[in-house]
Amino acid sequence: MLLSAAPALRDPAARPRLLGALTALVVLWPLFQAAEVKPAALFDPASLKVIGNFLAGFLPPETGAEFLGYLGKATLETLAIATVGMALAFVLAVPLAYLASAAGRERPTQNPITRGLLTLLRGIPELVWALVFVRVFGLGPAAGVLALGLTYGGMLAKVYAEILESVDATPARALRQSGARRPLAIIYGLIPQASKELASYTVYRWECAIRASVVMGFVGAGGLGQLMDQAMKMLNGGEAASILLTFMALVFAADALSSGLRQGLEKPPAPRASPFGWRSNALLIALPVTVIASFRFLDIGIGELFTLDAGRSIIGFVAEFFPPDLSAEWLQKVAKGIWETLAISVVGTLLAAVAGLLLALPKPNAPFSFLLNTLRSVPELVWATITALAVGLGPFAGALALALHTTGVLGRLYAEALDNAPPAPGQALRLAGAPGGFAFLYGTLPGAAPQLIAYTLYRWEMNIRMAAILGFVGAGGLGQLLYFELSLFHHAQASTVIIAMLLLSIAVDQASAILRRAMR
Amino acid sequence: MSFRLAGVGLTHANGFVALEGIDLAADQGECIALIGPSGAGKTSLLSVLGTALAPTIGTVEILDFGLFSRSTATGALRALRARIGSVHQAPPIPGRQRVVTAVLAGKLGQWPAWKALASLLYPLDLPGARAALERVDLADKLFARCDQLSGGQLQRVGIARVLYQQPDLILADEPVSALDPALALATIRLLIADATARGATLVASLHAVDLALGNFTRIVGIKAGRIAFDLPSGEVSQDLLHDLYASEGQDLPTLARETRYQPRTAANDAATRAACC
Repeated sequence: MLLSAAPALRDPAARPRLLGALTALVVLWPLFQAAEVKPAALFDPASLKVIGNFLAGFLPPETGAEFLGYLGKATLETLAIATVGMALAFVLAVPLAYLASAAGRERPTQNPITRGLLTLLRGIPELVWALVFVRVFGLGPAAGVLALGLTYGGMLAKVYAEILESVDATPARALRQSGARRPLAIIYGLIPQASKELASYTVYRWECAIRASVVMGFVGAGGLGQLMDQAMKMLNGGEAASILLTFMALVFAADALSSGLRQGLEKPPAPRASPFGWRSNALLIALPVTVIASFRFLDIGIGELFTLDAGRSIIGFVAEFFPPDLSAEWLQKVAKGIWETLAISVVGTLLAAVAGLLLALPKPNAPFSFLLNTLRSVPELVWATITALAVGLGPFAGALALALHTTGVLGRLYAEALDNAPPAPGQALRLAGAPGGFAFLYGTLPGAAPQLIAYTLYRWEMNIRMAAILGFVGAGGLGQLLYFELSLFHHAQASTVIIAMLLLSIAVDQASAILRRAMR
Repeated sequence: MSFRLAGVGLTHANGFVALEGIDLAADQGECIALIGPSGAGKTSLLSVLGTALAPTIGTVEILDFGLFSRSTATGALRALRARIGSVHQAPPIPGRQRVVTAVLAGKLGQWPAWKALASLLYPLDLPGARAALERVDLADKLFARCDQLSGGQLQRVGIARVLYQQPDLILADEPVSALDPALALATIRLLIADATARGATLVASLHAVDLALGNFTRIVGIKAGRIAFDLPSGEVSQDLLHDLYASEGQDLPTLARETRYQPRTAANDAATRAACC
């Protein structure tokens, strides 16, 4: 018989799987240690009482006329910072993208100097820029606008350059060969193919800018964040609740507006000489008006930024950061900070992946998707101020904050991926009598797994950057280190930390590119 | 009695009448071929037999389960479904799953929960899975991933899953349309042999008339949602067949002249994509 002659059957994948699981345990254990995971702290009666009192103070939200006045002003300020910041970013991004991109060039070379500048701009988180600018220009929205402009300028330029490189290059090449210059070849040959993607990404970034401008308030750059920071420090739950509600309304509105704008991009152009309809014209008028109005509202003295005195103080300030402190003792501390940052990001992302999957599964998912949206609309930094109350300052608070926000993001993405997974395999198993759960595990999940993994990795990449700055509110990692050193005016030490953040960001970029290629 | 349909009609939500006035019964162990032009209702009839669709009117009895309707308790329905095995037109198997797991999934309806969970980590019935694969000549692919197989191989994995499931009622919806003629014949014979050996009932819809007449004892012709004839294969005349396929032109669809049979690679790609993406 064939069967008896065959060697004893053993699953060849068993050993690699076992080894993989053991390796994961060996790697994760120290990371969980470094993140100081202590679930017991969540149920510590003393901190439960503190957070209970604080949350109880949320009700009723503060509605005093004076406070609402402040709130309204801060909301406008946040919107204005986001708008002016985005305008600045756009103005920076267009020439930088033109210089950096290989699009429309006869020989596809990339400009390494511009590319390096872009990496520098977006590798340092906007919160760090804001923190540094607050030292130079003082408390207020100017720091926020500049920080937003620089980081988002870097991000926009990189993505613009890549979008232009990813579309079909032949139209531009043909135009160049018939004598058109590079800018015109790009406008006539590449922009028509890429315009939708370019616009859609810009709108998406503007939505992000609103969140970011809130967060930057935490380091004194004005707006809702600054108000929130004050309310949290005074444990004023009622005010915090009102601010949170305003903020969530703002995020939902931006979400709706951005998806509305993106839908508008789907419409075919009207059969007229000018393809712009009333909507486009209204937008074209509204944009400059909004930017100018925001600029006026923020009352940033542009002139003061560019006087000789200001220039001297900026140069003096920057000079203090050089040379960075590279002593072995300090480097060791920074290395520990990097390790802690990694630990926070890994623990936070893992917790979020589990929670997000559990929340994405139930059908119908209406109540769960509301919960996910709420989790998602509160930024990590705000969560960190709350989790720090619950479990005390330290990396665990940071990991929890990351987990809460990321659960919202991943849960929504997971639900979409599971809805889009091919239904036939699971359905066939149900028809063969498999219980629903197992039909899912054997039929649906394998189809959705690549997407679930890709989303998780992508989010982890973002969380590493975020973990680096959560420390600003005391949640451990590199951020805490940087915040301390800047507060003590130890600029040489701070410089080392900023360089470490930059290197970490570049390493994450490279690693995720490699991982994504391996997954394909 | 294996199943009995009485006065069964099926109207889809958009008003399309897929089945009308179907009376069909089979004894345990019968092998029945469903033939008829595309869109005649063969797949709908198989879906009703497989409890995937509940009829709009009429009564359905399957195995010794008694009347089946929309309100049947889920536990009882699951127990019934575990005894029905389906071979699908496009094999419903995730591309990233391993062949062994895809085959073992056939018994999810019979296994206790712990066994189903443990098999995700380490496949618990390796000899069983391999025996089933051996019967479709794929024993060497036991640990391959499904997206590494060709469309024809994947279809045979789907058949191996049903062989492994050992159902009392086997439903096959154009099970061999992705296979080349020689393999198609061998596969149909395998399904019939398996059903006969275990005393299971087999209902297969086939596009190739010669494949049906040459292998099955009982032929049911379906046209426009109704049963056109239900005869032993010896009594099916050429006139009846030409009548049945009147809408599809002069030639009867046979294995050699399979109109929808595409060049192998193209068919494979489409089937694999349908199953994997």
